[in-house]
Amino acid sequence: MRSPRPSLALPAIGCLLVLTGCGGGGFAGDSQAQQSEGGPVSVRMLVNISPNLTQTYWDDLVKPFEQANPGIDVKIEAPTGKGVADTLPQQLAAGNAPDVVETLMADETLAKQMLDLTDQPWAKDTPLAEQAKLGGRIYSVGVGVQAQSLVFYNRAAFDKAGVKEPPQTFDDFESAMGKLKDAGYLPLQTGGDFLTGLQLLQLSNPSRAQTHPTWQQDVKAGTIKAGESLQPYLERYQGWIDKGYVDKNALGMKYADAETAFLTGKSAMYVMGSWFTASEAKADKDFEVGVFPAPVDKGQTYPGPQGATLAAPYMVLKSTPNKDAALKLVQWLVTDPEAVKSQLAQDGNFRTGVEREFTPLEKQVQEILDNAPSGVPQGEGYGDATLPKGFNSAWNTEVQGLYVGKSPKEVAEGVDRWLAGRS
Amino acid sequence: MTLTREQAPPVVRKPVGERRRRHDGLATTLMVAPATVLYVVMLIVPVGLALYLSLTDWDGFSADPAFVGAANYVTLLDDPDLRRAALVTLLVAAAGTAGLNLLGLGFALLVNGASRANTFFRIVLFYPHVLSALVVGFLWSAILGTSGAVNNLVTTWGGAVIPFLSDPAWATVTMIAVLVWAGFGVNVVLYLAGLQAVPHSLVEAARIDGATRWQVFRNVTLPALGPSVTVNIVLSLVTLLKTYDLVVSLTAGGPAGQTQTVAYLILWNSFHDARLGFGSAQSVLLMLVTAALAFVVTKLRRRGELAVHQ
Repeated sequence: MRSPRPSLALPAIGCLLVLTGCGGGGFAGDSQAQQSEGGPVSVRMLVNISPNLTQTYWDDLVKPFEQANPGIDVKIEAPTGKGVADTLPQQLAAGNAPDVVETLMADETLAKQMLDLTDQPWAKDTPLAEQAKLGGRIYSVGVGVQAQSLVFYNRAAFDKAGVKEPPQTFDDFESAMGKLKDAGYLPLQTGGDFLTGLQLLQLSNPSRAQTHPTWQQDVKAGTIKAGESLQPYLERYQGWIDKGYVDKNALGMKYADAETAFLTGKSAMYVMGSWFTASEAKADKDFEVGVFPAPVDKGQTYPGPQGATLAAPYMVLKSTPNKDAALKLVQWLVTDPEAVKSQLAQDGNFRTGVEREFTPLEKQVQEILDNAPSGVPQGEGYGDATLPKGFNSAWNTEVQGLYVGKSPKEVAEGVDRWLAGRS
Repeated sequence: MTLTREQAPPVVRKPVGERRRRHDGLATTLMVAPATVLYVVMLIVPVGLALYLSLTDWDGFSADPAFVGAANYVTLLDDPDLRRAALVTLLVAAAGTAGLNLLGLGFALLVNGASRANTFFRIVLFYPHVLSALVVGFLWSAILGTSGAVNNLVTTWGGAVIPFLSDPAWATVTMIAVLVWAGFGVNVVLYLAGLQAVPHSLVEAARIDGATRWQVFRNVTLPALGPSVTVNIVLSLVTLLKTYDLVVSLTAGGPAGQTQTVAYLILWNSFHDARLGFGSAQSVLLMLVTAALAFVVTKLRRRGELAVHQ
């Protein structure tokens, strides 16, 4: 949008607007949803690219599908913006929307552009299909489940510090951090980027879900305030910064740096989702990594509900001219045993009933998932329990404020102010 | 009935000058047309669309954005994030412009003159500008991050971590420094071009009159460089007011959003938070502020140049 002569600013937005004006339009109502007749059909799939999920991996993943369906050519597309979330609206505005999008979950904004998959017989058996429903309809189907509320730990560090058992309550957790610090370790690995807010959400899920079982819905309905309800966890976190249990310069570390710091033995614990098991399996290290479910408050049930998100969610765009081929591809991606196994293993995800070769750490994660009383949405949430778009990032920015002098109350108020501005 | 020669209306012959003017006018129109079309399509249309979208609640996905009038502008005037980003942007623009021009002019004076060494140094100085801002950001973040090369070295020697990217003040200074490092090569080139235009006879005359090197620079070279200084300042200012890509790769707007610039915020609001209508309003505001600042700076500089000439 824009960019007049003197500023020449924001070429990306300028291009977007030019394309908005000139493009054919990618909106559902504008496009001609016609299946190509005869000849090969090309299905464009916008995917997330990460250290685990490379372009080569995606290309190889869909090869068996292409071989089994000679009339369909799958084109894997990497995000051109910061990520899939930024790229999709640009493509939609430019009239160049893909047929299938991976990574995003349907919310009220996105659902209007996506195909309703409720009537697809295979869709209802996919993981978290029921929980991710929006208005009773299925728009996103996934490969597996990502466990979110996990604390990975360095067994050698625990032994050296004399921490016999993984902590179950936050008080035990803090006591363990004290011992680990005395033993010369950085007790808890945190970081900058999106990591700061994510880790605190992951860590607080099991406890928060017991205090507020329908947290997202309650926040959405205005019966509780998001920041205020999470303030106790912000206060704990502030205490950890003050006591030196986390690095006060952690905001200068990117996600990958934080992961590396833990895997090279510089820190004793690392809060992360189950996909970390894939990185751990590849890492060359001289200590064993264990994992335990995130602690809860004293008097709460342990283990608490596990933060759970959909792994590799797929959606088909309503505007696709190749609806049948796109549906066939998505069905294959989420139901074909080999495709599912490959995706689960590649990004460290899990699915009940799918047997695959587990690393010792993955086995522990599967046990944690099996023993969790339930799975709960995290942060922004999904399905009907979705907070306004951008909540996780706003939360992250505010939580980082704890490192630069803001009080937990100010952070909580900042989160609530952000939400009030979006309501 | 036929008309006789006497009855026929007289043929009015246009004077040669008028025909030539018409011909010239047509040729001018034809020559200007492609540029005008490009200008309209690439600049006027996007600006018009931005203005239109700024009056809607478009989320970037729906086909039917609702008209909300000036609501987006009212919201942005009360937006603490925008106020913070505006301050950061102005700081970056002011300090960055000073840095770019001081270094640009300084190094241009050092490498002015034809020699192999000067050619080599000009290439070296310009080289950072060739790199993509994203690459520059990732590169410096790997060097200056908490676990980056510099801090590794410092902590190995027993020192404390330097919070280049983890403390708001440090991160802002680091960002400005990297922006200057990556961009001053262009200013060197522009100032070198300006230095070529300084009359050698004036410099020579001043030296014969016994002026020192500083006096020659202060009273002869600098005044003659007036137009170059104006161009450099305006270009630097306008470029820095729309700083975006380096923020993404170096600090990601952190710590705690303290290095978010207005352009970063616009893109973030527009695409990440799916508030393209609101982002458009911010864009329009940035456009107006940038235009106003560029206009004021140009006017002030011209006034200064005129005063020097008089």
